[in-house]
Amino acid sequence: MDAHVGVTSIGVDGEQVDSVFATAKPEVILYEGTHFITSEQHYLKRQTVSVLEAVDSRRTALGPLVTARVLVRGKALLSGAATTGILRQHIEQLGSMGVDIAIVDGALSRLSLASPTVTDAMILATGAAVSANIKQLVSKTKFLYNLILLDEVSPDLRERLSNISTGLWAVDSEGEPHDLGIASVFLIDRAEKDILRFGKTLFASGAVSDRLLRVLATKGKDIILITRDFTKLFITPEAYTEFTRRGGKLMVLQRSRLIAVTLNPTSPQGFLLDSKSTCDALSEALQTPVYDVKKIVQ
Amino acid sequence: MKIKDLIKQDAGFQHIIDNMEFMSSAGRRKMLGTEFCTHASQLQEEWDRLGIAIETVKKYKYKRPYIELRHALMQLHDLQGTLANLASHTTLNEVELFEIKNLAQLTQIAASAIDGLGLGEILPLPDTKEVFNLLDPDHTGITNFYIYDSYDIRLTPLRRELNALQTSDGDPVRISELLAQQNEIQNDVCARLSDQLTRWTDLLTTALEQLAYADLLLAKAELALQWELSRPNIGDHIEYTELVNPRLKEHNEKQHLRYQPVDVALYPGICIITGANMAGKTVLLKSVGTAQIMAQCGMFVPASKATVKVVEGIVTSIGDEQDEMNGLSSYAAEIIKISNIINTCRNHEMLVLIDEPARTTNPVEGKALVQAIIKILNSMNSTTLVTTHYSGLSGACRRLRVKGFVEGMADIPLTPQSINRFIDYSLTEDTNDDVPHEALRIAAILGCDKEMITLAKEYINQ
Repeated sequence: MDAHVGVTSIGVDGEQVDSVFATAKPEVILYEGTHFITSEQHYLKRQTVSVLEAVDSRRTALGPLVTARVLVRGKALLSGAATTGILRQHIEQLGSMGVDIAIVDGALSRLSLASPTVTDAMILATGAAVSANIKQLVSKTKFLYNLILLDEVSPDLRERLSNISTGLWAVDSEGEPHDLGIASVFLIDRAEKDILRFGKTLFASGAVSDRLLRVLATKGKDIILITRDFTKLFITPEAYTEFTRRGGKLMVLQRSRLIAVTLNPTSPQGFLLDSKSTCDALSEALQTPVYDVKKIVQ
Repeated sequence: MKIKDLIKQDAGFQHIIDNMEFMSSAGRRKMLGTEFCTHASQLQEEWDRLGIAIETVKKYKYKRPYIELRHALMQLHDLQGTLANLASHTTLNEVELFEIKNLAQLTQIAASAIDGLGLGEILPLPDTKEVFNLLDPDHTGITNFYIYDSYDIRLTPLRRELNALQTSDGDPVRISELLAQQNEIQNDVCARLSDQLTRWTDLLTTALEQLAYADLLLAKAELALQWELSRPNIGDHIEYTELVNPRLKEHNEKQHLRYQPVDVALYPGICIITGANMAGKTVLLKSVGTAQIMAQCGMFVPASKATVKVVEGIVTSIGDEQDEMNGLSSYAAEIIKISNIINTCRNHEMLVLIDEPARTTNPVEGKALVQAIIKILNSMNSTTLVTTHYSGLSGACRRLRVKGFVEGMADIPLTPQSINRFIDYSLTEDTNDDVPHEALRIAAILGCDKEMITLAKEYINQ
């Protein structure tokens, strides 16, 4: 493949041992021509030959973030933006340097970077870090997988809703949004008027919590709740089931492009799941192939 | 006194800084580090430069050299730490060397844009070509940086071998060895380059500070154009035509309320301002203070015409000074402050702004104190503005009155929301030492308790 690749991380990657569990971690090897973003401290420790192309004016605890291009293959530590806003700027910057594909290494339970407003596509990487119990691992992964694949609203409705930045809104049968005057979905209990007065379709511009789903479940049946994208959903399977049992349905303005599901059978604590049976169980539940990252051929 | 200390006293001035558009953090730092200037000639020079900058911005706003200069300033990093390392002969690392190279190049780009704008005389920049060349041994002309092979003859063969081993998954022990050797050589080169750069420390510091100043000057010019600020003249008194309080004006415009600029002239000695409640006395005090800070920090001022007297500083007693943490009542905190103001004015020519002194104590002693304050400050060279509700104050001094509430001024029903439209905020010379009695009338308009107002009227008539 001739695509020009750039890499960064939202945590720290490439260290030899996990800083929480002190277990061995795979190191990151960067190939010639790859662009990478990391912090000054980690850059100075790299085991490769590379050219500095940019230095960020913002400082992190590990110095400013720097962007460099690899001349001679070698190992490096990656550490990157702490916020999705800065991450987005970095992705843009990599693009301006000729990078075709920017790869961002995520972190467990930090989904915000998978938002379609930040990245174009995502790989769902699950594994022993999520749960040591295969059954639980499958059910947790399947829950998230279902949220990632929630139906999108029509392009017309997306257009009308995408500029709304705060509060809970109702969408009437004509597709017209109405502000329900609830500044935050956390204040929904205090709503004085019937929130379903414009119809059963609602749009939450910010985060969706269990509480919102549970309140909606008590307000009526067959409610459609639209959210910006799956990263705005901070909900548990229990609350979601309660909501759907009452005929509720979640939809998104924009769906993330999921291009693969991978499994890492090794947990940070050091134990190992059986690769074949876990992959099989996941593929069966998700109805999609699941790859063991440790077996993917280089 | 620096701006960063002045903004703690004057929230109105903070608002002005918030509205200035700096391209770099260095520009903002320069602004906050600006001294309150007490030399008339220095102020004139700064206003001259600002005037030229304003004309330039008007002429080139969307044209190439101006956009290039702003773009260069946007990429400016505040390298004070790196330059301090350089000055103290600390070896710079690759990232710091990159930053120095970047500064050297930005300086050249900015210098050529500044030439294109014809501002070379007021924004001179040092020549950083030699610095750039040292950090660009292969003459690439771009700011990318690493320890180039040409810095040390050992690097080419070493890296060639390293590359061969890495691409063929060669002996890891040898790879480690080579990486260690490379690191050592790179450190040597960094030390050598840092040493060579030391002699340009002053030049690079000048470049950074001048670029920061260019950013500051353009931000001042942009603000002056956006807010239609005027260049003040320097005189022996303070005089504004159509003085504006930028923060209140913006607030009123947002609320679709009328904003009325005010004409005011102040001379050394004291001037008392009276006027009904809601007539804008406190706002006037704050506006005069903010405009004085702007002028003496080398900015233009929010008035259509302005004369300023250069003072040594501004001292104020505005608002509730109650400091419960110090266990002081509002009266105690205020009177200590005023006492300090008087002491300061014994040795310095200040601008003094005091809002309703002694309003929180009993009227008999309060009035006596105000009279004493007026008498003392009136004999000094400081320019003092005092607002008060006390009437019958004896002593010769200038008095101004806010015209205040005018019935029938607007052709709309009078309500608490519309009352702003019925107030004439302009000032008039007042010969009468009686203050306007409109407190009850305003309370009635605001829809306050009828019994309270009726009873109060009865007490007045008794």
